[in-house]
Amino acid sequence: MPTDPVTRLASIDYLVMALYFLAVLGVGWGLRRLTRTSTDFFLSGRSLPAWITGLAFISANLGAQEVIGMGASGAKYGIMTGHFYWVGAIPAMVFVGLFMMPFYYGSRARSVPEYLRLRFDEKTRTLNAVSFAVMTIFSSGVSMYAMGKLFNLLLGWSFDVSIMVAAVIVLSYVFLGGLTSAIYNEVLQFFLIVFGFIPLVALGLYAIGGWDGLSARLAEVATARGLPAGAYTHSWTYLDDPSRNPIGVEWFGLVMGLGFVLSFGYWCTDFLVVQRAMAADSMSAARRTPLIAAVPKMLFPFLVILPGMIALAFGAGGEGLIPAKLGLDGTPLLDSSGAVVLDYDLATPMMLISLFPSGMLGLGLTALLASFMSGMAGNVTAFNTVWTYDIYQSHIRRDASDAHYLWMGRAATVGGIALSVAAAYVASTFNNIMDLLQLVFAFVNAPLVATFALGMFGRRATGHGALAGLLAGTAAAAIHHGLSLPAGMHAGIKGGYLGLLHTYRSELAQTFWTAIVAWTTCFVVTILVSLLTRPRPAEELRGLVYSLTPRPREENLPWHSRPGVLAVVVLVLTAGLNLLFW
Amino acid sequence: MSQSSGLDIRYPIGGLFAVLGLLLTGYGLATAGDAEAYERSLFVNVNLWWGLVMLLFGAAMLWSARRGWGRAAARPAAEDPEGREMMER
Repeated sequence: MPTDPVTRLASIDYLVMALYFLAVLGVGWGLRRLTRTSTDFFLSGRSLPAWITGLAFISANLGAQEVIGMGASGAKYGIMTGHFYWVGAIPAMVFVGLFMMPFYYGSRARSVPEYLRLRFDEKTRTLNAVSFAVMTIFSSGVSMYAMGKLFNLLLGWSFDVSIMVAAVIVLSYVFLGGLTSAIYNEVLQFFLIVFGFIPLVALGLYAIGGWDGLSARLAEVATARGLPAGAYTHSWTYLDDPSRNPIGVEWFGLVMGLGFVLSFGYWCTDFLVVQRAMAADSMSAARRTPLIAAVPKMLFPFLVILPGMIALAFGAGGEGLIPAKLGLDGTPLLDSSGAVVLDYDLATPMMLISLFPSGMLGLGLTALLASFMSGMAGNVTAFNTVWTYDIYQSHIRRDASDAHYLWMGRAATVGGIALSVAAAYVASTFNNIMDLLQLVFAFVNAPLVATFALGMFGRRATGHGALAGLLAGTAAAAIHHGLSLPAGMHAGIKGGYLGLLHTYRSELAQTFWTAIVAWTTCFVVTILVSLLTRPRPAEELRGLVYSLTPRPREENLPWHSRPGVLAVVVLVLTAGLNLLFW
Repeated sequence: MSQSSGLDIRYPIGGLFAVLGLLLTGYGLATAGDAEAYERSLFVNVNLWWGLVMLLFGAAMLWSARRGWGRAAARPAAEDPEGREMMER
């Protein structure tokens, strides 16, 4: 559907982008000689200082989902979106750093699935490795698709060309420098995103009259939608009743579903982020990685959520900034009550375009590109490692030389990117397939936390128990989803395909409860099956299970480098933010 | 701090930010007083001001890399004992 682009760029904007491309390619080129063994390629030779792996830890997660998606959620749910950080990510990041990293790093596993093999058995690892590999390919494909679509809409760029350029650049620097190159560029991209978004938020707040002006405008929006006036600017006050807040959830579902199951599932078990910490140069650096990452992470709501909230506020009582969502025939979509559906994914990009003059606009769009590329590279580096170590080496060719696995890693990088591009095109033809995949991912991921909790912190869980628990958890998630629907939705991809027992007020509420059901089922089934099967002898579990592993010592570190001290600081600051926006 | 043979990450970051900062500052100076160009940004010359901030950040990165403060590079792959011996005992 060719439509007129929203804006056109000046040469200065293109120059800014070109300089960024040169810099990321230059990093890959500068690191090419450092990549001699497969450990260099997949784990950066475990050689990086904590602040670098820490910034890469958040940057790898800063894909389209984060920058565009959190802006969209800010425009939909207001400051409550901050729960994804202040209840969700931060406590989970503290937990993985303090309690789980000693096993990931200390066991010398080269990937999260490999830890599962050490702790449980080959089949549990394979299940996790295969689902993870498929997931990363599709995530990076969705990210590419979102990027191609966005730049086509905003600037009139060709969808094919945008995707190819991004794919070739990411391919080049990962191919040359492996994980080190991806991590270096993630740090660079982190700073670009921060520097691109600070002036956006500053100008936006200035335009709307600061936080007070924003609150006043959002109060209008809230009352117009039948919510309490402060519903968009308070994160906890209205969580007592799902009908009083824009997410449509109550505190229990939010804290357990999002804060516990989903966030711990992502931040503690997802190899995409854990891989960054595994690249650190020592145990204490690995443990500090997520803790260092938590400090900027807790401030990210101001960078990525506020633009969406400001975009929503600009629309109060007048022409909105957020455009309508268009159907395939180019006409605005209407919901069941006949109101226009807004394309919230455009909230943040529209803010960039409406506030930045030429020059800064180039920087802002480069920051967006950087976020897409860091997300893509994060997925690709995690994919090539899991493919090479957990699938290829363990099932296809067991005893090849290190040079062969290094070669395979590079080949998997090319293959992974090619598959991502293919996934991007699949996404562009079937709109629903992405909803479907996200759903499947949610089903597969949610039970994992229970498996790790029982495996790392208890010695009784067995491989049969873990596998049965994971499968049962996934099945339970699908059944719960199939029996419930968010309000206003028709049975189908959104649920209700097995009948209808319960209607949630929103999709997120349904997602949170699906996760809770999946976790609980996996927890119970793993315990039951483990009790019926033979446990592994304690000898074999040393270094893999909490009670059989000596605690890492911190006394020889200066106080400011001790993970425990950092964790306390991070938690106190996070609690402060929760109170500030209560 | 041990010096390492790897690429110090502060060079590419500092270099990129210094160049972008110079570019935006220059563009901001050249377009200063162009009310139409800055209407969007509420008549704030963001190119100039933010360009200067980026230039400073880039210069600080380059400077600290030159001084060799801290460590900001991959250490050549070598077995690092800390944290590992714990597993072997």
